[in-house]
This record gives sequence, structure tokens and C-alpha cells, in this order.
Amino acid sequence: MASPSTSSLSFKAPSIQSTRTSQVLRKPLSFQPISFGRFQSSKNLRLQISCAAKPETVQKVSDIVREQLALSADTALTAESKFSALGADSLDTVEIVMALEEKFNISVEEADAQNITTIQEAADLIEDLAQKKPAA
Amino acid sequence: MRISVMSQMHRSFSIDLPSLIPLQLPSRRETHLWYVIPDEVKSTSLLKRYSQLLSPIEKDGVDQMRGDELKKNALLARTLVRTTIARYQTNKEVDPRSLMFKKNVYGKPEVDWQNCNNQPLHFNISHTDSLIACGVTVHVPVGIDVEDKERKIKHDVLAFAKRFYSADEVNVLATILDPEVQRKEFIKLWTLKEAYVKALGKGFSAAPFNTFTIQSMPGTEGAYNLCKTSEVTADPPEETKKCNGGWKFALFDLADSHYAAVCTEDDQANEGAPTKIIVRKTIPFVEDQLISERIFL
Repeated sequence: MASPSTSSLSFKAPSIQSTRTSQVLRKPLSFQPISFGRFQSSKNLRLQISCAAKPETVQKVSDIVREQLALSADTALTAESKFSALGADSLDTVEIVMALEEKFNISVEEADAQNITTIQEAADLIEDLAQKKPAA
Repeated sequence: MRISVMSQMHRSFSIDLPSLIPLQLPSRRETHLWYVIPDEVKSTSLLKRYSQLLSPIEKDGVDQMRGDELKKNALLARTLVRTTIARYQTNKEVDPRSLMFKKNVYGKPEVDWQNCNNQPLHFNISHTDSLIACGVTVHVPVGIDVEDKERKIKHDVLAFAKRFYSADEVNVLATILDPEVQRKEFIKLWTLKEAYVKALGKGFSAAPFNTFTIQSMPGTEGAYNLCKTSEVTADPPEETKKCNGGWKFALFDLADSHYAAVCTEDDQANEGAPTKIIVRKTIPFVEDQLISERIFL
């Protein structure tokens, strides 16, 4: 897979690589109720162990999701809101990731992009990536 | 007392569910594509019947969808899968409620035959707001994707392609001057690439979009080729392209409103042979309509 050769730092966590491979054999019964037409690769273990993102980040992500999916004002969004439950398909998810990259000036690896399923996960990933950027 | 209650229950189940008309299995060189238009399914009693087909987990899944339209579409998707697969069991009548599903190790949904028969049936579904489709094959894995032709991309199409597609695909898109035509080609490529990854069944990490190119086969209408890019470790590193077979692609219009892409694994015994796609529109339990039968090279 081509690695982005831009100035923004793309996420690499060498210490996690081995655990990531061991995550490939995921439990077959964890039913993803909505993505009937799509399915997900193994969850990134790193997302589960990082600290929860700031509320402002969650809010900014929610705004982007709301815009991409053209949600009405009365669709309540929380950190736990699942993209698929909001009607996002794979193309929407990729567009959301692109919007997040632009907004937060980060670069998301494709494997990570496909693993984002909720607003919380997107916010956590953003803060992780923003943290790893070199100081200006 | 208990016996009469149970026989009452049994009676009500068999009255509520009409029979499904059985279907002939696709041949090895065929893909059957079934689709439902949600707007055409309005009857609340019919929708209620559909919801009786679902497993508890599936019902939860439908309930999780935010909004009535999304709930309805999720219900129709599961209904389409259950009723379609049930109809192909020509040996005996199969209750669509009895089908069990599981996921392969990468998360791709499959039928769990529970060691009943070794069924060669494969399926894959795709849905948009206005159309739900299910592809069925025998013996070979299948992946499908449907997209609304008028779908607007919020980002610049070329920027999007540069970020996610292969270099060759970007080059093809870059030569298209009309933005509308470019957007349509972008969508077509998206459906083809999605269909491939879904047919492969190993998740997106196994085939990131920028590691393979799908190109149209010159002189054909709707036939495409897959080329895989891999970097050969050399100094300087070279990119080699393998465009041999292994996977067959077809792209066509669906219901005048959508693009549909179908990807099937090339059957080694018949490698390179043309494939036929039979498209039918359906309202489960109500009617089928043959839409087209088309050969793709």
C-alpha cells in the first residue's frame, strides 16, 4: 500500500504491529447489524486503549458527519453514534475521513479509515494523530 | 392445554407466511442479481410480515437505524437476502426464517448451512437509499455494489481519486474534461472496486483501493479487467502490474437510476469464458420481474 509522502505525519505504531496481526482472527459472532453490504476488517487495538477525545473534537466530528450525511437538525448525534446507523455507506465513510483530514490537518491510513465506525472512534483517531505530529 | 396452545401457534405461523416460489440455481457461468425498490413496497402489513422473518439480532439491527426510511431499508435488505436464498433450495421448501448467517474470519456475511448440505451458493448485498440488491452465484465468490448515478461527491473528484485510487485510474479520470462525465466515471470505478473487495471477502486492508487498477476492456461494453500493482523490492523499487485473470467484472445500468458492478471469481475450469448476468426486480412474496439477461465477456 502506498504510504503518503506528504509533510503531515501518518500514523505508525511499531509496537502495536504484532498485536494488530493477532487481531485478524476476530470473533465471527460479533454481529455488525447494519453493514450488510460491507464488512469490517479487524479493529485497531490502539483505538481501544487511547484516552477518550475532548468534547470539542467530538463536536467537530459530529458537525462533519452531519454535513456529509445531510442529517436533519433533529437527528441527535452522540459520541456513540454509529455511521452505519445514520445511513453512511462506504463512500460516505471515506468522504467523512477526507473531511476530517482537511479539518484537522492529519493523514489517515486506509486501514484506519475503514475501521472508523462511530463518532467517538473518529475523534479518538484524530487526537492520536494530532498528538503525534512534530511540534511546529 | 399446552398442546392446543402450540398447535394454535403452529397454525398462525403457517397461515401468515405465504409460500415462496422456488428458483433454479444459477449455472456456474451465471450471476443472478435481484433488487428491490423501497418506494415500491408500501404495504404496512407486508412490511410486518417481513419483520417476522428476521432473527432477533437482525431486528435489533433494524431498530438501531436512525429514522423510518433507514429502518425500512434495513428490513428490506434482510428480507431480500432471506427470501432469495430460501427460494434457491429446490430440494425442499425452506422457511426463510430458518436460515442462519455467520461471518467469515474477515467479517464477510455468509450463510451458515449448519452442516445440512454442502451448498455451493454464494451471495452478496449492496444498498443505496433507493435500491437494494442481492447477487447470487454458485461455486464462486461474488461481490456487488450499486450506487445512485446522480450521487454527488462532496470533494473534488480528482483529489478524491488521487487520495484513494491507483495512479493509473487517476490518469484515466484526469483525461476526462467534462466534470459530469468525470464524476460518473469516478462512481463507476468506485462500484467496480467495491465489488472486487467484497468478492475477495478479506476486508479492505487486504486490498487497499490504491493497490489495484480496474480498467475497461477495449472494444467491449461493460467488461473490465483487474490489474494488481505490487512493488518489487529492487533498487530503485519497481512497480509491476499483473493483469491476468482471476476475477471477472461487469458494470451496467440498473433501473435507469443506478450503476451496478458485479465481480465474480473466475472459475478455473472455465477461465476466460463469458459470464451471464440475469437481473430481476422483486417484491418478496408478491412478484418477480425479469429485467434483463446479458452476456459479459
